[in-house]
Amino acid sequence: MAEIEAHDLVKCFGSLRAVDGVSFAVAAGETYGLLGPNGAGKTSTMRMLAGLSPVTSGSLRVAGLDVTRHGRAVRACLGVVTQSDGLDDELTVRQNLEVFAYLLGLSRRQSRQRAGEVLEFFGLTSRAADDVADLSGGMRRRLAIARALVGQPRVVVLDEPSTGLDPESRIRVWEELAILKQAGVTLLMSTHYMDEAEILCDRLAIMHSGRILDEGTPPELVKRHAGSAAADIRPLHASRDDVRRALTASGQPFREVGALFRVTGRYGRPPELPALEGCQVNHRAANLEDVFLSLAGRGLGE
Amino acid sequence: MTAQASERPQLAPARAAAAAAGVLRWRSVSAIWWRHVLALARVWKVAITWFAVEPVIVLMAVALGIGQLVGEVEGHGSYAVFVAPGIVVGTAMFHALFECSWSAFQRIQQSIYETILTAPVTVAEIVLAELAFAITRALISTLAVGGFAAMFGWIPWLALPALLLVAVGVGLVFGGIGLLFAALSPTVHALSLVFTLVATPLFFFSGAFFPIDVLPDWIEPVAWVAPLTPLVHLGRGFVVGVFDTSHALSAAYVVVLAGVLFPLAVTLLRRRLLK
Repeated sequence: MAEIEAHDLVKCFGSLRAVDGVSFAVAAGETYGLLGPNGAGKTSTMRMLAGLSPVTSGSLRVAGLDVTRHGRAVRACLGVVTQSDGLDDELTVRQNLEVFAYLLGLSRRQSRQRAGEVLEFFGLTSRAADDVADLSGGMRRRLAIARALVGQPRVVVLDEPSTGLDPESRIRVWEELAILKQAGVTLLMSTHYMDEAEILCDRLAIMHSGRILDEGTPPELVKRHAGSAAADIRPLHASRDDVRRALTASGQPFREVGALFRVTGRYGRPPELPALEGCQVNHRAANLEDVFLSLAGRGLGE
Repeated sequence: MTAQASERPQLAPARAAAAAAGVLRWRSVSAIWWRHVLALARVWKVAITWFAVEPVIVLMAVALGIGQLVGEVEGHGSYAVFVAPGIVVGTAMFHALFECSWSAFQRIQQSIYETILTAPVTVAEIVLAELAFAITRALISTLAVGGFAAMFGWIPWLALPALLLVAVGVGLVFGGIGLLFAALSPTVHALSLVFTLVATPLFFFSGAFFPIDVLPDWIEPVAWVAPLTPLVHLGRGFVVGVFDTSHALSAAYVVVLAGVLFPLAVTLLRRRLLK
């Protein structure tokens, strides 16, 4: 049985359908990503899962339990990291963890012990007595993740775990999530970073306007939407107009991204580039970003 | 973290079972209450001024200063004896109201309730915990200010336990009112209305500083309906040791207020937090 199961899930805010008939299933131990731009419905989906937002229609189950009817039981096996971190600035780092453990039902002694373990794992022991407000952004996020793990949840829900973090902190968060995955925890995360999705997720759903456009493993999605290879063309002496004209004439799908022209192949083949003078051409493997750009061509706008 | 896989099977089912049983989960209430105690303990040096210094200054100024001008109040002896229970109960009101409006609003804004709700906790349990802490603050304040008044002989020591009972009523009623404002206020500016519209007028027009029957006839019924009035009336009843049907009516009114405010606060806070 799937650990998380959404079927025809809908969330309406007034006339806005923030989540518009979404279905997916996450197996136990799997890391599943919701990838999409802001407003795609990722956060709304996760908030319904965490019991923070009532389900408008459809069904949503965690560990076989319906989130609407058995919300409390669902939350007992869930660890949640919201976008805002939700840390308690009136308490110390350690107290944030201890109070949450106690809230989950551990005894005072167990709470103290568990807080100590989690602090150790996240390398925050030396900051235990500090005010939360004194932590860096990366540490705050990691403390929020630590808090979600205090109750040893079966399922962890992370809303954009690395948004706003510096590169070093991001890698640290990824390493910690990888260890969780190894421990058999099921992870559902949202992100709008392709690299993060590619590195962490076993499977992905690409969301836009409250719907899932496609779903699969990162390599599957790349193969399906961007083929095996892609090329980045950087005009050096050539004019952008000339390059655009040549690419259009060649019939290869391409997108202009910043200073680059990103070209993907057709029918899963590598791109067949026309002769281009005065350009730097970089042939590379296709990646999720190409998938995103390719889907963007079919209505996945800003 | 290696313990993750091995410990989980024993912990999670036990918690899930506990979560499924019972409509109200006691641990939710006690844990949130404990969180508030920890937060208050961290600022204890400042908190002492809220509980002791400020009300004591008010009590002394009113009892010793204004009291010299007023002289005796009919049926009560000195003005200090009349005003002391009013100030004890009024100060408790400020604590309950402040806790559940200002502090609760901050917890909404800083997503602290949101985090709490990701645990197996319901909004009703949050409201109960807030009321429990409002009562706690009302009790501490009553002990501090009441104890001070008793030292001066303005309140009999034996009345203090009864005033603590009144403080429970103050916590329930004004904790509830505070939560309504916290749940409804879109901004801090809107929230400040709780002090201009509720706290200040009630403090002065609930019989704390002068008997309600000296007010003009048209305002008297309004003053009796004001939610602080029955509590001041009860507090003074205990201090003076004289009771009549008006005290029974006051007690009934407090029970009704608390009974109406609790479900209302739950509904409004749920609407605010779970969108």
